[in-house]
Amino acid sequence: MKLQHYLGGLEGLEPVQLETRVFVAPWEQRIFGIHTAMMALSSHLEMKPTASKFRDIWTWADLRKGAESMNPFDYFKFRYYEKWLNGISGFFVANGYITQEELQARTEEFSKKPDLGYRPGGDASIDERVITYLRDGDSPLRETNLKPRFEEGETVMVRDVPTTEHTRLPGYLRKHRGVIHTVYPGTYVYLCSTGPDGIGPAMPVYCVQFDPSELWEDAGESNSVIYADLYEAYMDKAD
Amino acid sequence: MNERFSYPADREARNAARVKALESLLIEKGIITSGTVDKILGYFETQMGPFNGAKIVARAWVDPAFKEKLVADTPAAIAELDLPTGMAGAEGEHMQAVANTPKVHNLVVCTLCSCYPWPVLGLPPYWYKDPTFRARAVREPRAVLKELGLELDPSVEIKIWDSSAQIRWFVIPERPTGTDGMSEAELASLVTPEAMMGVARAMALGAKTA
Repeated sequence: MKLQHYLGGLEGLEPVQLETRVFVAPWEQRIFGIHTAMMALSSHLEMKPTASKFRDIWTWADLRKGAESMNPFDYFKFRYYEKWLNGISGFFVANGYITQEELQARTEEFSKKPDLGYRPGGDASIDERVITYLRDGDSPLRETNLKPRFEEGETVMVRDVPTTEHTRLPGYLRKHRGVIHTVYPGTYVYLCSTGPDGIGPAMPVYCVQFDPSELWEDAGESNSVIYADLYEAYMDKAD
Repeated sequence: MNERFSYPADREARNAARVKALESLLIEKGIITSGTVDKILGYFETQMGPFNGAKIVARAWVDPAFKEKLVADTPAAIAELDLPTGMAGAEGEHMQAVANTPKVHNLVVCTLCSCYPWPVLGLPPYWYKDPTFRARAVREPRAVLKELGLELDPSVEIKIWDSSAQIRWFVIPERPTGTDGMSEAELASLVTPEAMMGVARAMALGAKTA
């Protein structure tokens, strides 16, 4: 198991700090922008091609896979956008866009001269596509003939699927009973196949209601209810 | 001694140099342009952000029929308002609003990562991305909210929405008391991202926290 998949319900933690900033260091904005540009230029989108040399698929799933495959202690050690920086730099090196040596040398250069700028340039079609992507999004809704297996009010058992590198099934819900609260209209793909974990192709998605006292016998709090959005592959009919 | 949790003294400077190196190389290699990142950041300053969510909430406070529609069919209700185009854009393709009442308090979390309704709320603040919040919000929501200054009566039910698939949730907080004469724009100024994720109340200016 990976701790990152089982965060919900973890005990023994410190008080939550209400840090309301989105970015806590200016450099974080740059890596956010790079990630968003990659999502917009991803080859899986049915959008007008641009002059960009980017030729791969890049979605949230790729960023999440990176974070979920980390050593769990490193996951907690590094700040949110530090994980992005590591994952995205690694992607560009691994896929031959840049070399580790280039990145290293350029980093040294900017370390010595933080005020050094970079050469302006680039084709306008790239930025147009990025803005179009932000406006239009990338909906996972697909019309299919699949009929939902479960109906509202029905009790289901959450499966303990054999997740490998990535999942959208929160660990704290596995092997627990829930009640279908909403059957979402249509069917939904996921950004990639998660292999034996079971999502990727279009399937129904449900809002499922859970009783915290059933999840944690010693929860210690009362009068709350948890709702999670779950893909159909993550559930069986309850006995 | 285990060095795992030590950081280099130049942590931030190093990160800054590395991201700058990466961005400059991506520009030179023709992947992005020298304006791409700034255009994206600018987009979040003017087109996608909590200023949109605040307008939506303020309208819901003054127009009960709109509020009803916002909960029943969130995209259709949002489309009625004079907001920037793209309210069903990236990370807002399937949004759903839930309304607080005197008896029900809603709290939004993403225990697996940081899913957040970009068009109406912009980018998630650090507390929302914090593993501690994500771990504790589902199991001890009352304790977490109390630490954040929001103490709920035990009779108030807490509904926690874990954003694990396509839906991006946001909360319509309750309208604060003492705001009867306010315009919609004044009301919108009382609505914070925290209130729209359920970790705070919308507050009349000058009011004390609960």
